[in-house]
Amino acid sequence: MDKLVAQYSRPPHQNEMYSEQEQQDLTASVPPLSLKFSLPPVDNRSAFLRAMTDDHSNPSCPIKLAHGTTTLAFRFQGGIIVCTDSRATAGNWIASQTVKKVIPVSRLSRGEDKKTNEPTPGLLGTMAGGAADCQYWLRYLSQQCTLHEIRHKRRITVAAASKILANLTYAYKGYGLSMGTMLAGMTPQEGPALYYIDSDGTRLPGNLFCVGSGQTFAYGVLDAEYKYELTEEEALNLGRRAILAAMHRDAYSGGFINLYHVKEEGWVHHGFDDMNPIFWDTKLQKGEFSNVTSAL
Amino acid sequence: MTSLMGNHSGTIGYSFSEPTSANVKQHSFYPYTDNGGSTLGITGADFAILAGDTRSTSGYNINSRMVPKVFKIGGDDETGEGANIILSVVGFAADGNALKEKLDTMVRMYKYQHGKSMSVGACAQRLSTILYEKRFFPYYVHAILAGLDEEGVGALYSYDPVGSYEREQCRAAGAASSLIMPFLDNQVNSKNQYIPGSGEGHALVPKKAEPLDKETATKLVKDAFTSAVERHIEVGDGLQLVIVTREGIEEVFHALKQD
Amino acid sequence: MEVLLGIAGKDFVILAASKAAMRGPTVLKAEDDKTRQLNKHTVMAFSGESGDTVQFAEYIQANAALYSMRNDTELSPSAVANFVRGELARSLRSRSPYTVNLLLGGIDPVTEKPHLYWVDYLASLAPLPYAAHGYAQYYCLSILDKHHHPDCSLEEGLALLTLCTDELKRRLPIDYKGMLVKVVTKDGVREIPVDNDKVVRSA
Repeated sequence: MDKLVAQYSRPPHQNEMYSEQEQQDLTASVPPLSLKFSLPPVDNRSAFLRAMTDDHSNPSCPIKLAHGTTTLAFRFQGGIIVCTDSRATAGNWIASQTVKKVIPVSRLSRGEDKKTNEPTPGLLGTMAGGAADCQYWLRYLSQQCTLHEIRHKRRITVAAASKILANLTYAYKGYGLSMGTMLAGMTPQEGPALYYIDSDGTRLPGNLFCVGSGQTFAYGVLDAEYKYELTEEEALNLGRRAILAAMHRDAYSGGFINLYHVKEEGWVHHGFDDMNPIFWDTKLQKGEFSNVTSAL
Repeated sequence: MTSLMGNHSGTIGYSFSEPTSANVKQHSFYPYTDNGGSTLGITGADFAILAGDTRSTSGYNINSRMVPKVFKIGGDDETGEGANIILSVVGFAADGNALKEKLDTMVRMYKYQHGKSMSVGACAQRLSTILYEKRFFPYYVHAILAGLDEEGVGALYSYDPVGSYEREQCRAAGAASSLIMPFLDNQVNSKNQYIPGSGEGHALVPKKAEPLDKETATKLVKDAFTSAVERHIEVGDGLQLVIVTREGIEEVFHALKQD
Repeated sequence: MEVLLGIAGKDFVILAASKAAMRGPTVLKAEDDKTRQLNKHTVMAFSGESGDTVQFAEYIQANAALYSMRNDTELSPSAVANFVRGELARSLRSRSPYTVNLLLGGIDPVTEKPHLYWVDYLASLAPLPYAAHGYAQYYCLSILDKHHHPDCSLEEGLALLTLCTDELKRRLPIDYKGMLVKVVTKDGVREIPVDNDKVVRSA
């Protein structure tokens, strides 16, 4: 009997040491390529995660994650316009007003926002939903795109890249990821290509998408004047104006207007501009926003 | 991890206990607590400051008046000598400690394996992945990482609990972040400040933010904390100031109100 | 998913309401009129809990008429709006409050200036140059923010309305069976025929 008990029970301090695997993980200074996530020791993991982090269903949750957004992208005769706001919120708290929600994907030709206005080859991804989810998985995607480039000696198509991401989000469906992202790029095989991918596993090619809490406001402005034949300047202004509209009407959007143009040779950055002076210019020069008083 | 699961009985039939046929009721699993406190970081052209109060609370109790929240990362020994990166963690202290230990180990392993110190930029990305590895069982912490970048300019990275991060000039985290952050926006980034006499109403020209010098930044940190102490119950006792410059890391403590 | 839209211009107010009367998954009627004329220069469009809407609107309509008969004068749009708000506020504090959202448009017979009021079921009242209720708010307010001018003509106002309804046709997942459009000018209230069969292509 005692022998049996001794055989099957473990001393309470047994788990205090690091296991061999844990020691290996600690000594590796590079994160593992195989995706390993630690999971809470409960039956219903997504319910646990929701109770701890979802401030929508549980406003007093202890861990508030960064959320809330308006992002848009549309195809036109001269390429693709990508435009976002820059606000991150955790509950009612504005966690940041300077988030970069357009993320260059494909690392071999990355180039952090350069001074010159030379186009940078590669894809652009946008970020809506959980900030960490988007940052992490778009970085994972650029890793995969880079590997593709090394293996095949040519850049990955937008269709293939978006499929990698969609398969990934579908594999994690039900785990509680939250992301709505658009991938924009121009490749010789596809021309200008735009895809919408979200954490449900949806993947859609299309001409025009708006994603985030302010999407409807952006759609309103965009749909009213969108046509494929837009000139480059018209397209840039329309993208900027649609984000401005969403920032004005949606409390979870705001901060700076981040504008990109994807062309044949690559993407070009068209500024990260404070919305406030742009708003007052739009109102006072063009007479728009007539519901707002400008009296001092 | 398995020790927390409490479901051995299913797989290891103890001979002295009857197998329970009734549904095993799982107690609600709440592995977190908030230990209060606040941290803040400011950077300039050639320095980075991280500061935190030293109070540790649980509920309305004060557990300790001397629990530092800022740590040196990648030092040669326990004192942190030889480090050039600092990390502040606020939220759940046990998670914070685990996170610090993990990052510290990894930065030191990097040094042994590569024969050079890790850059802040690389360390910042590594910290992000460490946090995200626990995406489905998060660390309950707000981390701020600081140091000097390759050009010797002050660098500061702030994180959410699951690893989204951003380089910034300044950041406040923790219990009094909502009191301190607006002050920092105004004083460090010159938000809502205008050049006097530059115009009327909408024509007023906004003041440009300029990098602060070390002395001004230190003063701002002290002001931020003495003010936060006046209005937040979880902040107080001591102020830990850690400053990274090209000369190394300097650490000082100041007293805050003890009530 | 009822749609209410209101636009005030230089010398007119447009009120538009969707024509579908819905209950659960069914469209009961495709030619429903969700507006009532309160007096010569004022109309009201309503949406909300079925039953409550018409009851409340006709109660207001009757009281406005009663006032006109007793005093041999008409209430101004602002007077009607404040009366409506008062009645809603009173109802809100009763045992069974009316759940009705309203848009109220009119021309002041004295000044001949247009007035548009937005009222919700919690008895909030706001005078606005353009207004919407329901999902229309999310799609149309940004359009109106951009394209509305306080001194626009009736033609411009109707073009603006088309911009809004086109967007709703494009993006709303259900068919709201077109819009009923009423216009108030100094000459009174009239219905404007609109082309509801237009097919809108999505981008």
